[in-house]
Amino acid sequence: MLIAVQIPTALRAEIGGTKQVSVEASTVRDALEQLELLHPKLYRSVCEETGAVRRHINLFVNLKLVRRGTGLNTALHPGDTLTIMPAVSGG
Amino acid sequence: MSSPDSFDRYVRQMQFAPLGREGQERIAQARIFLCGCGALGTVLANTLVRAGVGFLRIVDRDFIEPNNLQRQVLFDEDDIAASLPKAIAAANKLRKINSQVVIEAEVADVDPTNIESYAADVDLILDGTDNFETRFLINDLALKSKRPWVYGGCLGAEGQSLTIIPEETPCLRCLIAEPPPPGESPTCDTAGILSPIINVIASIQACEALKILSGKTEAISRQWTIINLWDNSVRQIDVSGLRESVDCPACDRGEFPWLNGERASQSAVLCGRNAVQVSPPRDAASPQLDLAMLEAKLSPLGDVARNPFLLRADISPYTLTVFADGRAIISGTDEISTAKTVYAKYVGT
Repeated sequence: MLIAVQIPTALRAEIGGTKQVSVEASTVRDALEQLELLHPKLYRSVCEETGAVRRHINLFVNLKLVRRGTGLNTALHPGDTLTIMPAVSGG
Repeated sequence: MSSPDSFDRYVRQMQFAPLGREGQERIAQARIFLCGCGALGTVLANTLVRAGVGFLRIVDRDFIEPNNLQRQVLFDEDDIAASLPKAIAAANKLRKINSQVVIEAEVADVDPTNIESYAADVDLILDGTDNFETRFLINDLALKSKRPWVYGGCLGAEGQSLTIIPEETPCLRCLIAEPPPPGESPTCDTAGILSPIINVIASIQACEALKILSGKTEAISRQWTIINLWDNSVRQIDVSGLRESVDCPACDRGEFPWLNGERASQSAVLCGRNAVQVSPPRDAASPQLDLAMLEAKLSPLGDVARNPFLLRADISPYTLTVFADGRAIISGTDEISTAKTVYAKYVGT
């Protein structure tokens, strides 16, 4: 199913300035694997080599936070939006 | 304590029913530590001094540059001409805005050796910083001393805020397990920063502060607020239950590595500045630097200007801004090692 992935300002440079991409995925883990295939530079900014989400980055589906570890198995449904959100430091 | 008449200026605020006169009286007694007085910090200070807090301690390590004026609302061109540190310029302006507020300004780098003294006598800590190291330090201190604090951060047209009440709400480390490694996170230099998002995020922080200080903590946001003014998105992420569901080293185990100095650095590359701050190890007993003597030493090498707070020397290809506490900001390099060399060469150790 088609999932929208929203890219935060901080990571748009890794994907040519794009703010949203679409991937075919049934879980959060699937979506990340699709990003690894289609947008490897972005993926490396989101996940460590082990596949774990980097510790300064959070993911949420629609408006629900994805828990670290087991949260990657969260099921996705058509029309869901997966948002990648790093902490921002400016101020 | 303020006399009843002194509350006239807050009449519109007191007419707001959830606050009322009782809330205003509590705000007038409240003491705040504002850590950092740049973009977020100037909006926070401006808003809370106008709102009539009792006491505001502003601590900032930096001086004002022309590219700050786009978003740092308390500063003007005269402050730049006078080479004023941000804390001093902000305090000067704030005292004209509201003479009822006791304002204390410190030109200093907040670090593990001094943060406890800055926060010891306050009710609330506000985040006006531009880096994760200081934010994680604030988080450690806030949790250890059980003081509330309000996180804010901005980049581009995007900003975030989280209100943290120790032992009640998730803390910064519950949400962000680790700060990004150096060089991995974009800065105001690479991604830019728009002034409106600063005003929005700092205003949210300021309103959270008013809720806490007036005793209305039941009204605080229990969500992680993320706003992007360019993409027209406002997101409120539910973080209730996060504190119970993550194994947070700070909340659950009382581990405070930023506060105990394990995670402290002595030098830091400054956000978007092509500059490095060098901080020599020192403690409360260390003497202030003799800036006049340093001026005499550096004058043969380049243009040197000095005021009571700092000295600036243009020694090509670097500009050294040396503060009386011994810190220096070395402009013209992003390399910590180069900056330390320049410091050792011209300021000495």
